[in-house]
Amino acid sequence: MADLAAAMDRRRLVTLLSPAYLWLLVAVFLPLSAMLFFSLLTDLPQDAPDWGLTLDNYGQFLTNPTYATLLWKSLKLGVMVTLACILIGYPCALVLARTIRGRARETLFLLVILPFWSNSLVRIFSWAIVLRGNGVLERSLDWLLPFDIRLNLMFTTPAVVIGLVHSYLPYVILTSYLALQAIDDDIIEAARSMGASRWTILRRLLLPLSLPGLLAGAVLVFVPVVGSFMEPRILGGRMGTYYGTVIEDQFIAVYNWPLGAALSFILLAVVLLIIALASPVLKRART
Amino acid sequence: MTRAALPLLGRLWLALILVFLYAPILVMAAMSFNASPFYQLPFEASTVWYEKMSANPQILAAALRSVLIALATTLIATTLGTMASIALFRYDFPGKRVLQVLLFPPIAIPWLITGTAMLIFFFAVGIGRGTPAVIIGHVALALPYVIVTVTARLSSFDITLEEAARSMGAGAWTVLRRVTLPWIAPGVVAGALFAFAVSFDQFVVSYFLSEPGDSTLPVLIYTAIRKGFTPEINAISTLIITLSMTVMVLAARYSRLGGDR
Amino acid sequence: MSGVEVQNITKRFGRALALDDVTVSFPDGGFFGLLGPSGSGKTTLLRTIAGFHYPEAGRIRIGDRPVEQVPVEQRDIGMMFQNYALFPNMSVADNVGFGLRVRRVPAAEERRRIAETLDLVQLGGLADRRPAQLSGGQRQRVALARAIVTNPKVLLLDEPLSALDKSLRVDMQIELKRIQRDIGITTIFVTHDQEEALTLSDRIGILRAGRIVQVGPPREVYDRPVDAFAAGFLGEANWIPDSCLAGLDLPASPQGHRFAVRPEALAIGTAPDLARNALRGRLVQRVFAGAMATCLIEVEGSPWKLVARDRDIPDLPGAGEVWLSWAARDTIAVPA
Repeated sequence: MADLAAAMDRRRLVTLLSPAYLWLLVAVFLPLSAMLFFSLLTDLPQDAPDWGLTLDNYGQFLTNPTYATLLWKSLKLGVMVTLACILIGYPCALVLARTIRGRARETLFLLVILPFWSNSLVRIFSWAIVLRGNGVLERSLDWLLPFDIRLNLMFTTPAVVIGLVHSYLPYVILTSYLALQAIDDDIIEAARSMGASRWTILRRLLLPLSLPGLLAGAVLVFVPVVGSFMEPRILGGRMGTYYGTVIEDQFIAVYNWPLGAALSFILLAVVLLIIALASPVLKRART
Repeated sequence: MTRAALPLLGRLWLALILVFLYAPILVMAAMSFNASPFYQLPFEASTVWYEKMSANPQILAAALRSVLIALATTLIATTLGTMASIALFRYDFPGKRVLQVLLFPPIAIPWLITGTAMLIFFFAVGIGRGTPAVIIGHVALALPYVIVTVTARLSSFDITLEEAARSMGAGAWTVLRRVTLPWIAPGVVAGALFAFAVSFDQFVVSYFLSEPGDSTLPVLIYTAIRKGFTPEINAISTLIITLSMTVMVLAARYSRLGGDR
Repeated sequence: MSGVEVQNITKRFGRALALDDVTVSFPDGGFFGLLGPSGSGKTTLLRTIAGFHYPEAGRIRIGDRPVEQVPVEQRDIGMMFQNYALFPNMSVADNVGFGLRVRRVPAAEERRRIAETLDLVQLGGLADRRPAQLSGGQRQRVALARAIVTNPKVLLLDEPLSALDKSLRVDMQIELKRIQRDIGITTIFVTHDQEEALTLSDRIGILRAGRIVQVGPPREVYDRPVDAFAAGFLGEANWIPDSCLAGLDLPASPQGHRFAVRPEALAIGTAPDLARNALRGRLVQRVFAGAMATCLIEVEGSPWKLVARDRDIPDLPGAGEVWLSWAARDTIAVPA
């Protein structure tokens, strides 16, 4: 009897769940596994009938210093962008969550995270218009400042950083804001009743309590920045060769898919390592 | 620092960030109405680039393709995602936590990796590049967003409403149609809008999966930028960002994302 | 209408045994109260009869029909939930009409029966309201109307009155009893409130740890509990210390029995009443509560309680020695 009911429930459960998860299996998890397999091939099976298994693609990463250097460059870019996002975004989340109330807060919050949901490519493109030599930014500064100025920001590393910060800043604000907003007002009032200054409250209460949110935001910025290729291409020009652009080249220009797969897989390993390192703190956020 | 100065400083900071976030977009929008092709000032108002854009068959085809792909993605992801959310909410079973965790890789892994992996796999199994491949990829990226949004709405759903309906003689389908779905409808609508936005704004995965010459709007824009851009691209970009921001404002109103609950 | 028979029902949740070989019969047209502490399995039993749980073993009949394998929606029951579970997106009339709509009752008859039932629960004018616009008592009436409008075979109530405040609850108890008698429906309800169980039910079942302890009319269960748990759970019991048993007129042998007296059966005085059972004690406190008063007395080291009309308690000298007396027939005996 109970078995009968359980069997019926199980059938419903499978009917409801399996389409979504089969889709994820076919479109995400099988491809990620296939990538591991391809990264071990000498050649594409569809191109060369005499393909075989090899570790050469990973060997290339070790022997050719270009790849490691570029991965290091991408990691440094990730650190820079993440730090910038934290320094700019956390105070902003703090202001939003703790000093502004009611409908104004809702509207401002929406305004801050809205760009994050709009087309990132288009937003990077808009920076290209602003930053280009003799473009809008330089002309405005010319007009504002008495002396002549040549920023030449376009096609430099700072341009790439500005574009990426613009793209990913809302992540840090979103996650920090959610964590800060969840902190009970009573806790702050209790601290104030005990004579704590604003600085003490920030350092001893707000910062530790919102740390999981802040860290989640940092991971959400760092991971995609390390794998970015479109932003460096558009804003970095000749300076814009990074680990991500090399992978793009393997698939779009050079057609060395096995090498591209190996490079992608190494990046995936780095990403998973970072998430694993952050997860103890992130887990605390759920309790 | 005095007590009054600190909040003021905070507000100033917030204002600066909003300028940083919106200024380039507004500049781009303004330039799309500037007659000069090299963004020369003084500004001379004109809609010439919009006219050129709407006469460009490549842009129009890509725009149509982007919209159709986004609609297909929305339909599939919303249906499958809502079904999965209901199952995850209603039943307790071993492995439930694992299934919930499995939603994060599509969000957390950089699209560069997901996109290239899809490309390799789809070629290996014969799907190859093209619009079907793009849709398969987009649905996978949109599914977690739909499931998270609908699940959030479901968490405030009282399961005894379903029990009450059954005690009055309603079968599974009637319970779903008359009790559960009306309740989660705002969450489903918000999830659908998210799915549309994910697909319509998606560049990376589309870039690897679309056939050359048969690309979506963002891919077309990327190719055009790398060739040296024209203000037509500017015009279409302005339209895209207006559309996706509108969609998101609607989604936020349905899901009450953030703010005071 | 029809009665409900539950035979040898066993239900597990994982390793926990929620119902352990429960057999109980709910008579046709009766008002049956299931009473027990939390975790005793009373709600599980109700939900198993409803069909939300399927038992591992045992049989359930509603009328002549075995229903162990029948899903909820086909059992023809009416159920009221603790939080009422009114559909927030439907009007009062649509809430009440839901079960009729599902059964494809013709529209005209649907309207007639909704109106009839709303009149029965005295909500005639509120058909177009939304649940959010109703008071707690009104919601409760809608939930009741919704449960009975389809003329189900059995009405199941899960803590029906627990969400109401005290004065409203007493009104609703009377109302619920009237409606149940009017339509003569077999009713099973779950409560942890013993007073509510005594007021509403014509039969009571006490559960403990997934087993039925005692079933019977309220007075019988109250006056003749089968064990110490039943005696202590339904009403309060003053246990007579073994050292005081000598000299008392007892209904059973002191070997193998324990004895108790209800607080309201006791009389208090400064001298023993030699015609009745009497024990000496020390008055600890006298608590005045309007018409009634409670005395806390220590009898041979065990705490006793006496409840009486305040005017029936004589003036006592502060704290000190007092005598408690009661009629021999008021002594309760349970197996030790």
